[in-house]
Parts: sequence; C-alpha cells; structure tokens
Amino acid sequence: MMLPGWPGGLAVDGLSAVLLVTLAVVLAAVLAYSAREGYGPRFFVLMLLFAAAMAVTVTASDLLLLLMGWEVMGAMSYALIGYAWPDAGRVRAADTAFLTTRAADLGLYAAAGFAVAGAHSLGLDALAHAEAPWRDLIAAGVVVSALGKSAQLPFSFWLSKAMAGPSPVSALLHSATMVVAGAYLLMRLHPLLDATGWASTLVSWAGALTALLMGAVALAQRDLKQLLAASTCAQIGFMVLAAGAGTVGGGTAHLVAHAAVKSLLFLCAGVWLTRDGSHRLVDVAFGAGALALAGVPPLSLWVTKDEVLAGVGDPALLVVAFAASVLSAAYAGKALLRVLRPAGSSPVGLSQRVPLAGLAVAACGLGVLGLPGVAGEWRRLLGATDDVTPDVWMLVLSGVLAVVTVGAVVLARRVPEPGWALDWLLLERAATAGVVRPVFALARALDRFDDRVVDGAVRGVARAGRGTAALAGRRVEIRVDGVVSLTARAARWLAALARRPQTGQLHLYYAQAAVVLAVLVAVAVLAAG
Amino acid sequence: MPAMNENPADLAPELCVLLAAVLGLVNGLFLPRTKQWRVAVVCAIGLVFGLAAAGVAASRPDLMAFGSFAVDPVTHVTRIAVLGSTLLVVVLAAGEVRDHPRESEHYALILLSALGAMVLGATSDLLVLVGAYLLASIPAYALAGFGKDAPGTEAALKYYLMGAFLGVVMLAGVTLLYGVGRGTAYDTLRAGLADAPPAAMAAGVVALLAGLLFKAGAVPGHFWVPDVTEGAPPAIAAYVTTVPKIGAFAALFRFGAETAPGGWAPLVAVVAAATMTLGNLAAFGQDNVRRLLAYSTVSQAGYLLVPVAMAGRADLARPAVLFYVAAYAVTNVGAFAVVLACGRDDLAGYTGLLRRSPAAGLSLIVCLLGLVGTPPTAVFVGKVLMFGAALEGGYAWLAAVAAVNTVASVFYYLRWIVPLFGRSDGRPPPSRAPLAVAVAAAAVSLVLGVGSGIALAA
Repeated sequence: MMLPGWPGGLAVDGLSAVLLVTLAVVLAAVLAYSAREGYGPRFFVLMLLFAAAMAVTVTASDLLLLLMGWEVMGAMSYALIGYAWPDAGRVRAADTAFLTTRAADLGLYAAAGFAVAGAHSLGLDALAHAEAPWRDLIAAGVVVSALGKSAQLPFSFWLSKAMAGPSPVSALLHSATMVVAGAYLLMRLHPLLDATGWASTLVSWAGALTALLMGAVALAQRDLKQLLAASTCAQIGFMVLAAGAGTVGGGTAHLVAHAAVKSLLFLCAGVWLTRDGSHRLVDVAFGAGALALAGVPPLSLWVTKDEVLAGVGDPALLVVAFAASVLSAAYAGKALLRVLRPAGSSPVGLSQRVPLAGLAVAACGLGVLGLPGVAGEWRRLLGATDDVTPDVWMLVLSGVLAVVTVGAVVLARRVPEPGWALDWLLLERAATAGVVRPVFALARALDRFDDRVVDGAVRGVARAGRGTAALAGRRVEIRVDGVVSLTARAARWLAALARRPQTGQLHLYYAQAAVVLAVLVAVAVLAAG
Repeated sequence: MPAMNENPADLAPELCVLLAAVLGLVNGLFLPRTKQWRVAVVCAIGLVFGLAAAGVAASRPDLMAFGSFAVDPVTHVTRIAVLGSTLLVVVLAAGEVRDHPRESEHYALILLSALGAMVLGATSDLLVLVGAYLLASIPAYALAGFGKDAPGTEAALKYYLMGAFLGVVMLAGVTLLYGVGRGTAYDTLRAGLADAPPAAMAAGVVALLAGLLFKAGAVPGHFWVPDVTEGAPPAIAAYVTTVPKIGAFAALFRFGAETAPGGWAPLVAVVAAATMTLGNLAAFGQDNVRRLLAYSTVSQAGYLLVPVAMAGRADLARPAVLFYVAAYAVTNVGAFAVVLACGRDDLAGYTGLLRRSPAAGLSLIVCLLGLVGTPPTAVFVGKVLMFGAALEGGYAWLAAVAAVNTVASVFYYLRWIVPLFGRSDGRPPPSRAPLAVAVAAAAVSLVLGVGSGIALAA
C-alpha cells in the first residue's frame, strides 16, 4: 500500500505473469547478447532499471505505482537511447523520444487525478466503476498516455528517433518493455474502455490505422532499423486493436510472439551493424524471424494475428486490418531481402548464438498458443474466456496472402516504396509545427510579459523609489541637513561659551559666583513673593 | 514626630568611622613606613563595621538623636552610599599612596571627610550643618594638595578659596535664617520662615545654598570641580566628586523638605537647569578624561537637583534623589577607577582598551552608559524617577530641559566609548586593584539597576 487509506500495491495475475515471463526471457537473451558487445556497467545498470520499471508497471495494481514504473521506464529509455552521449545527435533523438512520451504521460497524471475525484480510488479495477463524466475523462487520459507510450498514431515518430540507441536497447525497448506497456495498459483497462462505449472503438481504430499506415511507412524505409521500428508500430497496432476489440487472449499472444520475433530481428540487425560480415546462424535466425513477422504459416505471428482479427466485429475495421496484414508481409519480405544479399563471413560468439537460436525457436514455435487445447488453457490463464477462435477460412486466407506477398516481394526483389511514407508521414514536422512552435511562441510571449510587465513593474517601483529618494535628497534632505548642522554649530558655539567662565583665575570665579548668587537671590525673592 | 533621645548608639556608623580614623592615625604614629598599609586595613574594617551598623539601623524605626540628628531613610541611604563609596576610594587610594611618608594621614583624612559628609546628610539643624560642612571640606582641601606637586597645590588652593568664600556666604545665610526664622532646628525654621519677610528669607536661603551647592559641585559653586578633578590625585578626584556630593544632596533635600521655604522649587529648578546645561556643554570639547568626568559630574549634579527642587511637592522626589545619588556614586567611582587603572588622562590613551583589557573596557562602557542613563544600569532608574518627580511636581519644562541635556550628553560619553573599540597599541595592561574596583562598581551599578524594584521597596 503506497498511501495509507488508498488500497493498492503489487499483484501478479495471469496477464502480469505472462508479461513478466516474457520480460525475463527477452531480458536474459538481450543481456547475454550484450555481454560480448563491450558495454560499460552504466549500460547494464540502466538496462536492469529499465526492465525493473517495466516489471513494476505490469504488476502494479493502482495508478500511483503504475505511474512510478511508467515514469522510471520513460527516464531509463531516455538514458539508454542517449547512451552514446558524446554524439549530440543521439542526445537530441533521446530528447525527442523522451519529451514525446512524457507529453503523452500527462494523460496518465490527469487520469490519476480524475480517478481520485470520480472513483475515490486509485485501484486499476475500480476505474471502470467511476461515475459517468469522470469515467470518460479517466479513459481519455489513459488512452492518450498508452498511445504515446506505444508509439501509436499520432505519436509514432518518437520510435524512429529511438533507433539512435544501441541495438540491444532497441531489441528490449521494441519487444518486452516500453512500447508494449501502452498495449498492456489498454488490455488491462479493457473493462474501462468498454464501460465508456466510445473509447474501445477509438482504440480499435487507432490500432488498425497505425497498423496500416505504419506498415506503409515500414515499406518505404530503406534503413533496416527504421523499417523494423515502423514495423513495431504496426505490430503494436494489432495489439491495440485487440485491446479495443476485447480480444485480450489474442492480443497477449501476439504481444509475446512479437516480443520474441522483434528482439530476434533487432539482435540480428545489431550483429550486421557492428560487424563487416555475417554468420550463417544469424542469417537463418533473421530469415525465420522475418518470415514469422510476415505471418507465414505455420509461424507464430500468423496464428496470433488471426486470433486478434477473429475478435474484430466491424467489417470496415476487418478490411483495414487485413490490408495492414498484407503490408506486414510486404515489409517483412523487404527485410528478408537483406538476408539474401551476399555478405562476408564473421564469427559470432557462443553467448550470442545461444540467445539468437533460442529467440528464433520461440519466434517460430509460439504459434502453439493457437492450438485448440493450448488456446483454451491460455485464455483461462488470462481470464479472456470470451475470445473467439479464428475461422478456418480466415486462417487460410491470411496464410495464403502472406505467402503470396512474401513470394512476390522475394521474386521481384523490389517493393513499391510510397514516397509519402518515407518520412514517417511527416509526423515529427507536424508535431514541431503544431505543438513545439506554438509552445515556444507562447513561452517567448510569456517571457516578454514577464520581462516587460512583471519585471517592468518591479523596476518601475524601484525607479519611482529612487526618484522619490532623489527628490527627498534634493528638497528635504538639504533642509534637514541644514537644521542638523546648524544645531551642531550652535552646540559647538554654546560649548565654547560654557567653558569661557572656567578661566582658571580665582578672582573671576569669585566675581562670577557672587553675580550668580545675586541673580539667584533675585529669583528667590520673585519666587517667594 | 520621631521620639527624642540622646543615645550614642544611634550614631554607631558615624562612631565606627571616627574610631577607625582615630585608630588609624594613632597606629600610623607607631608603624614603620613600609607597614603603614595596615592603617588602610584598619580604616576599611571601620568602614565595613559602619556599613553593618548602618544596615542594622536601617531596619529600625525612624528617630531623632540629640535633637539635631535625624535617623531616617535619607540618613540610611546617605550613610550606606558614603560608606560604600569611601570603601572603594580607600582601595583606590591604597595603591596610590603606598609607602608615602604620610600614608596613614591620607586614610584618616578621607574617613574624617566622609564622616562630615554623613553628618551633612543626616543633620536637621543649621549649626550642625555648618559644622559638618567644615568637617567634610577641610580634610578634602588637604587631600587635594596631598601630592605637593604644582597642579595639586593649585587645585587645593582653588578648592580651599572657593570653599572659604562660599562657606562664609553660607555662614551669613545661616545667621540670616536664624534671625528671620527664630531658630536653627528645621522644625523651628519651618514655622518661623512661614511668616518671615520674603526678601530676607530669600537672601538667607540663597546664601545657605551657596555652601551646599559648593559641596554638591553645582552652579555657582562648580568652578573648583574641573580644576580639582584634573589637578588632585585621581583617587582624591574620585572622592571629592562623589562622597561630599552625597552628603550635600541629602542635606539640600532635607532642608527643602523639612523647612519648606517659599520659592524653593523655582529657585532650585533654575539652578538645576543651569547646572546640567553648563556641565553638558562644557564637557563637549574636552579631550582630558578627568576634565570630561568633572563636567559630567557637574551635569549629574544638575539632574540630582531636579528631585531636590521637587522636595515636598512630589512623592517621587525622595526615592528619586536617594536612588539617584546612590547609583551616581557607585557609577562615578567606577569610571574614575578605570581612569586610575589605565593611568591615562587623554582620550587617545583609551584607544583599543576593550581588546587590551576586556574587563576594564567593559566596566568603563557600563559606567559611561550608566551616566548617560541607559537601561539596565542603576542611573537609568534614577533618571526615570527624576523625570517622574519633575512631572509629578508640575515642572514639565524642567523635565524637558533634563531630557534634552541627556540626549546631548550622549555625544561626549560616546566620544570616549567609541575609541575603546579601536585597534590596541602595545600599552601595559591596567593595574589590578583599581581594575577590581571598577569591575565591582560596574557590577553593582548593573545589579542595582536590575534589582531596582527590590531596592526601592526596601
């Protein structure tokens, strides 16, 4: 319990357990891989803190703890993206990523405030029972922050910047931490989204459109890591769609399978980026991962994606999702072309080969989650009993579409690259023009207001005080001074006069004493009379 | 009316002093020169016994001894103040006249003069008053010239001639008052002066005042004060500006209160205003600390005359004059003790005293601030009572003059205090015995000021 009187704390249920295990496995693989890459202690400390924050986020049962994990995770992502801090460009990229997610995080703060006001509780379970206006406000706050964290539209651009970090960071950040935190939160708070009526629809469309548009962006990228980044956005889009549609079992399965696939792909990309050549195991692993990403049967993402799609009721959404699914096959095919390019050979250590192999096996085999027997168990674990098993026609259709698309791409050896998608839909420029510049303009305006009005008033008072003082100094002080010095002169003169009788000559003393006594007699006579 | 009696035990403090003086003198005849310090011890013991006797007497009811010696609160305070100050002066003098050929006479003369001051304050008869005046004065003339140096001789001569002149005038005044008042005892005079011719009575009162004002160091009998204070040995300077004054103010107050001559208040008020103003103004430019202190005592005499003027008009007058005179005595002796300890007469000699000797510097600051009338010193309480008496007696203008004078007096006291904080030059440290006297006097001044409530209630 973080606050007395406010129930909450850490708790593990099915969803949390799945995410914790995923996190632990991916973290172990990534750290094993990183051990040979020569990073300093700072890197591992930050990585462990990053993962710990994610663990807190997925086990928190109230908004306060969740916010803590959420914030620490954001801060660690900043530190990890800017790990090579002497490079100013990377630090700027880290700034962009941090500020974007941070801005979206404000939604979660607002949601916490609204929860206190509307639900009189910070517990995640209690949010759905908040009163009407507060419930909508809470949902809005949660959705904004989740979309920001998960790099969904319109916040996706920060993930492009996050590629400035080392490859292991990307492998972790894109798979089991950070970006999936948003999807996790939405799945966790699915009852809240449903309760509002509008939020689940909004979230479904945001996920589907992100999957589609970011798929196009991925297709347009020529840099492998940028392609993978955009593909992450698109794949998270499927999970967000699942959260909106209420398919928690499918969404979680997709999350786990995608974590294996994407960490594998990033680690392989890391091998290629840090070495001249390649290694056959790396090539095979990357190929398997890319095929899984494409949704080629019987690999993992084929099954899990179809489970997500099975839960989508709205036909329009389903069409968009299928289109996105085809795009994912296309960009995966484009990534696969990278393996087919001839390259020299380079040794890869055992400590790196083992995690790569393991992740590859997982990426291929996690489709078992969709087998009839396993799927029931899985749904019971997650409490997602109303998930729908995908129809056979859907499985066949998506499998065929994926195979055909990948085949076409590999055979043609080139893909259409939509020019409008190359620069991430100009999202960053839009944010700069729509948010950053107005904020700066406002700040400058306020600065001017502060300088001229507030400061000006203060300076004006000071000037007025000086002016008054000068006036008093010229007009009053001289006269007062004059009076004072006159008094002093008079006192000096009187003092000199007072010492005059003290002549030192006795006859003068006698005379003076006699005169004074005579005067006193006169005084006494007058007074007595 | 206090009971009449002729019991010598009622004069025990006076007899202690007399006995000590005589014993000291006789002892001195037989002691070698280097052992004459024993006389000082004898005298000090006599003074301590006198203090004890005075304390015992103060706890008894008022009475009149030998028909002319009143034993009342005025006498008690006079006795205690005189005996205490004289004790301090004897300690100061002991270092000064050590191994002097006439050391024992020195102490005896101090004690006899102090005896005169005590009788002066206690008597309620004009003839005894004249006798006390002579007893207080004549040893003091001798003491002023004790050093047999040029300034001391000049001081003694001036002191004596001023005293002789004003003493003669006083005698004439006593004769006049005897004539118009048909008696010399104060209660006889009170009745006799009520229907006496005003002009003759006024002349007689002023003539009597001449002598008492000479002893008090007030206008017009103040001319000797600066010259004697500067010329006489420092311990004697401390003595003549302190002890005879106590007796003189007590006598003035008693005469005013018990005979109530017409026009007393305005007459003394004029003298008070003139005295305090003259003393303060003349002190302004002094660079010699002893002359500065001399004029300071003149101005203090002016303040002390304010409650004297209010005698019989204000209830506060008696506590004011008694408390003020005691506070003034101890503070003034303290200031002189620092001068004696430092052995310097110029203001520049006191630069950095606070660093050289914190005890001496602090004592001097306490005493000087006391003379200004700063709380919590004793003179502050006396001044407050003095202002209260003036306002109670309806003499607001006198209170105003006293207030202006008090403010003006800050100037010359600060002229002495400020250099104390300066940088010290390597002068020798102050001598011990006078320093102890200074510290004791400053402490008493503070204690008396803080404990004024108890002292006034007693």
